Amino acid sequence: MSGSQGALAGRRVLEIGGAAGAYCGKLLADMGADVVKVERPRGDPSRAIPPFFEDRPGPDRSLFFLYMNTSKRGVTLDFEQPSGRSLLRRLALRADIVVESLPPGALDTQGLGFASLAAERPRIVVTSITGFGQTGPHADWSSSDLVAGAMGGALYVTGEADDPPVALAGQQNHLMACTTAAVSSLIALRHAQRSGRGQHVDISIQETTLAVSHISGVGKWLDDGIVPRRVGSALTASVPSGAYPCRDGRVYLMVNRPAHWRALAAWINEETGNQEVLDPMFEGPSSRRIEYRELLDIFISDMTQLHSVDEIFHEGQRRHIAFTPLCTTEEVARDAHLAARDYFVSVPHGECGPLRMPGAPYRHQATPWAIRRPAPQLGEHNDEVYRGELGMTSAELDNLRHQGVV
Amino acid sequence: MSFPQQALEGVRVVEFTQGMAGPWIGRMMAWCGAEVIRIESHRVPGVVRLYVSPHEPERGTQPEMSPWFTDWDAGKLFVAMDLKQPAGVELARRLVARADIVVENHRHGAMRKLGLDWETLEAVNPTLIGLSSSGFGDSGPHADCVTWGPNIEASSGLARQSGFAHRDSATTQYAYPDALSALHGLFAILCALEHRDRTGEGQRIGIAQLETTVAMLGPEMMEQLAHGRPPPKLGNASRYMAPHGCYPCAGEDRWCVITVRSDAEWQRLGRIEQLAPLVGDPRFETLAGRLAAREEIDAAIADWTSGNDAVALVELLQSLGVTAGVVQDTEDQYQRDAHLAARGYFERIPHLRKGEVTACGIPLGLTGTPGRTTRAGAAMGEDNAYVFSDLLGLSAEEYAAYVEAGAIEEPDGEP
Repeated sequence: MSGSQGALAGRRVLEIGGAAGAYCGKLLADMGADVVKVERPRGDPSRAIPPFFEDRPGPDRSLFFLYMNTSKRGVTLDFEQPSGRSLLRRLALRADIVVESLPPGALDTQGLGFASLAAERPRIVVTSITGFGQTGPHADWSSSDLVAGAMGGALYVTGEADDPPVALAGQQNHLMACTTAAVSSLIALRHAQRSGRGQHVDISIQETTLAVSHISGVGKWLDDGIVPRRVGSALTASVPSGAYPCRDGRVYLMVNRPAHWRALAAWINEETGNQEVLDPMFEGPSSRRIEYRELLDIFISDMTQLHSVDEIFHEGQRRHIAFTPLCTTEEVARDAHLAARDYFVSVPHGECGPLRMPGAPYRHQATPWAIRRPAPQLGEHNDEVYRGELGMTSAELDNLRHQGVV
Repeated sequence: MSFPQQALEGVRVVEFTQGMAGPWIGRMMAWCGAEVIRIESHRVPGVVRLYVSPHEPERGTQPEMSPWFTDWDAGKLFVAMDLKQPAGVELARRLVARADIVVENHRHGAMRKLGLDWETLEAVNPTLIGLSSSGFGDSGPHADCVTWGPNIEASSGLARQSGFAHRDSATTQYAYPDALSALHGLFAILCALEHRDRTGEGQRIGIAQLETTVAMLGPEMMEQLAHGRPPPKLGNASRYMAPHGCYPCAGEDRWCVITVRSDAEWQRLGRIEQLAPLVGDPRFETLAGRLAAREEIDAAIADWTSGNDAVALVELLQSLGVTAGVVQDTEDQYQRDAHLAARGYFERIPHLRKGEVTACGIPLGLTGTPGRTTRAGAAMGEDNAYVFSDLLGLSAEEYAAYVEAGAIEEPDGEP
């Protein structure tokens, strides 16, 4: 926790909607923006996402929720009801950025869409994060992280050739959509400050996945007609690459530059006496070695098998060859490098605290990333926001509570 | 009132980059109207330029024709310089003095060795924003390691945590940490720009791609840290949705995914005749029942999907309100995905040597200030004249002297 002001201090963000968009608000909030998360009175469904702290369910115990909502404030609001809707509008009109992940058009039908908000507050930026974007024949399709990974092309090229396509751990498609949404929100905000005009940012999770996975994408396919497929741990275009067996596990290797290949070949020759590996026909860019992938994999394994992962990692790196260990989460948790950099942070939390979690994804010298507060409890900031900032009286707020609006 | 149509017009970026984790940042900024100048050298051509077309292998490496180069670098200006020459470093500093933002993703220590470390750059340009991105960051026992995106996938825990339980790990074909670090890097720069707009203060930003990638496993790492045990490897399964998986369809390597997010959605699945008996089974009415019988349900669904066309099946499921998708390959996306086509997702970019190329779109979704990519296929040094003569104001004699000193490398041949 840090008292220092972040780069986005003074910027107001209203976050509406579920799990898919939560990381966008976290990115903005951890950099100092005042992000108010609006939940339904019964709580955001993502509070029910397992696992839970100490495996005991509870609205403030979902590790997913606790991670994705750091540094935000939380209010409850039922905008299906008219008084809730006008309250949401008041909150939105105080914001610089509204981040929402409701189905396309849902805010419009409540009279809370971009056009309606911009009529009153021309500089507002509304960032929508949906499975397929606001327009097009699939705009109304229902999506999930796995569906986005499938339609966006990431799934098809991940995993072993003989297995079904497989997803990465975590909700990577949602995370990338949210990061892109945070980028676009700030670009639109900067433009709004200069031009006086905000805009609607239309993030499609399918498209952000496609862009993130595009090494295997359309440009190369149109040029060479090769549809990229799953090839296990190696990269199709990089030879050699992949996971290689050591005495005590596997080590990851990536060779992209001619000089790295020469260094590797020399090392293999030193260790195993293999002369063939020095053949000049293997030299040059990766494309020269593609047809020899299997043979080179044997040469490399002959050497890596003689050593431990640690030995290959350190000696390989000493020779400027990109060998790195394949780590489990357990190994990452006690990784000496991350420890030396004080990477993991500890966040006080009444019920589950202190909670340890990953720290800064980037390190700003003047305006450091910081978790400014733990994820909000349900309706934790209702009083602060509705009475303190919107100027409601206690009686008004009580009235809304009775109606079940907050 | 006049205002910039392109959101980042007027912002100048200088790149000392390689690979993808650095260059994609400038690619997106250029699409938004920033002037992005990438510094290259013939001594160490970028890996994305090392492209040998399978149509014309006899022509060897064709640096301008690489589709990867389009994907990660189109829209930028290119100068060729040798930064091992003192005069090259001096010129690079002059360029930095005129920049708002510097992006570099060389190995830790490389910029310092060249005399382009942050302290030097900041002295040259006190309001500069500088992003430095490397695999392990600029401190700690592994700071000097050589890494590429897939190495970080391996070291971050992502590869081992991903994939099916019976496999050791799963790796992407797209060097995921490069892309995720670039997106986070761009966000980090925009935060710093916001701070500078308000206070006039620049700053340095450091990215350790390892740390950014571990942050993508937040809930998983929290489980490890809180409970001292690794989370289960789920493959395509979910802990709170069932069924949730990837199912075979008719044809070779054709698949669809189906994710049932609620009991109501499960009931909708029962409107498919062949699945009605399965959905009618009272054991599966609740999530707990479906989670307990995951394999049984998956097998029954796979029975049904395996005879069907993936696209038709997903259209049917979506029409019933069931969350499903085709596992699309590149060809599907480009030729058969009517939705992407209707949204104009793929971008056609003028190419200096091929007329026009099609590339993956930039997914920023800025409907009020739509971006564009001005051109692709630039050669090394393509924009030497503009950058050195027009921007830095070198006279013809000075330019020639820099070339003579080996600091400026002459552009590659005419298109």
